[in-house]
Amino acid sequence: MRPEGATGEATSDWSLLARIGQKDEEALSALYDRYSGLVFSEAKRILRDTGAAEEILQDLFFQVWRTAERFDPARGSLAGWLLVAARHRAISKIRRKSGKSEELDENGVTLGVDVESHAAQNLLLDKVRMVMGSLPDGQREALECAYFEGMSHTEIAEKTGQPLGTVKTRIRSAMEALKKVLS
Amino acid sequence: MRNGEHIRLEELELFALGALPESEAAALEAHVAGCGECAMKVAEAHGSAALLAFAAKQEQPAGTVKAELMARIRANREAEERYAWPLKKEAEMGKERLDADARSSWWNWVLVPAALALALVSFALSWQNRRIATQLEKQRHVAETLIHDREEEEKLVSVLAAADTVTVKLAASGDVANASGLVKYNGKLGVMVYTADLPALPPDKSYQMWLVPVNGAPISAGIIGPSGHAWGKLWTAEVPANTEAKAFAVTIEPVGGVAQPTGPKVLLGAS
Repeated sequence: MRPEGATGEATSDWSLLARIGQKDEEALSALYDRYSGLVFSEAKRILRDTGAAEEILQDLFFQVWRTAERFDPARGSLAGWLLVAARHRAISKIRRKSGKSEELDENGVTLGVDVESHAAQNLLLDKVRMVMGSLPDGQREALECAYFEGMSHTEIAEKTGQPLGTVKTRIRSAMEALKKVLS
Repeated sequence: MRNGEHIRLEELELFALGALPESEAAALEAHVAGCGECAMKVAEAHGSAALLAFAAKQEQPAGTVKAELMARIRANREAEERYAWPLKKEAEMGKERLDADARSSWWNWVLVPAALALALVSFALSWQNRRIATQLEKQRHVAETLIHDREEEEKLVSVLAAADTVTVKLAASGDVANASGLVKYNGKLGVMVYTADLPALPPDKSYQMWLVPVNGAPISAGIIGPSGHAWGKLWTAEVPANTEAKAFAVTIEPVGGVAQPTGPKVLLGAS
């Protein structure tokens, strides 16, 4: 699935991005094929709306097309940036609907794992699902409320009826378990 | 929230998850903006949180989304090139070359006849406009004349109908024989209506009507005209209201009249 160069080596995200900066449509097409499923699935999980998720997906890749030259490899992972940016936009849509607003820094994401091939993505998908399946319900719920619902720890505490300290502990413990995926 | 000068990892992870209340998130962002070490850690925390995206049920977007995206970037690219091309062209070829190209282009075969047709239409419209303007001027003159005549008639009627209007017959005076005239004057209104039967004058002369007040110098009441023979025609003239008239007179003056009588009297009548 990974785009192959003339030498048969896989094309890195940053190589694709450099070509996109030169207005190479094939490079954008390859990058889209690489990450559109992940980005769309994440946005749809948050929004629960196919059309709205597709809109975010298209807008995000259009932004990549227009501003590719501004992305700095030193700031981290392009895949990580796409996922964080998609989440922020989806959460912002939800919060606008409820009258809230959020200023978010979409730059600088260190993913810490290679997801430039679909094989690597599938492997990571399995690992994350396994970790999430192994988490106690309270920890999993706290993570999902924060990441997919855009709820603050206070709101999670109110929703679950747990003390704020308990919610923080659950989130910290769940994050520690999740980070083991990266090791 | 802080461990020494830096933000604790727990707080950074809550921030990356979006679980911090807005006020706390704003304070953290302000710190991270000026702290390289915390910025690096928050980037890692964002990466850890992003793993949760892999927990979502995986689905593929409709194929039309990519088709629309590619069409969108193609349109964007074409628009950018379209705007950039003239500037590049001008820089490379110079304005004179562009002008030469423009002259020799096939567009000229379209633009020149179109310009000629436009000029003809413009000329026709201009001529028609002048014709309409002339007609309007004539109509305006007619309307002004009608209004003036109506005003004169109204003055005439008001003077003739008023009970305090006096009638003064003018008789020949001096060397002009068989001359006569009639004046109706309403001092309250300051309006005179008169007529006269006078012999013709040389082209450089006019008859001029005067109101001679009880006090003061004669007041001109208009030019009767060089041809005389004014019976059947009534003139009206306005003089200062409430002027008590002692007499009315007609003199022969240069064409156009004068401020005060200088020539011989031909008609005279006492009020």
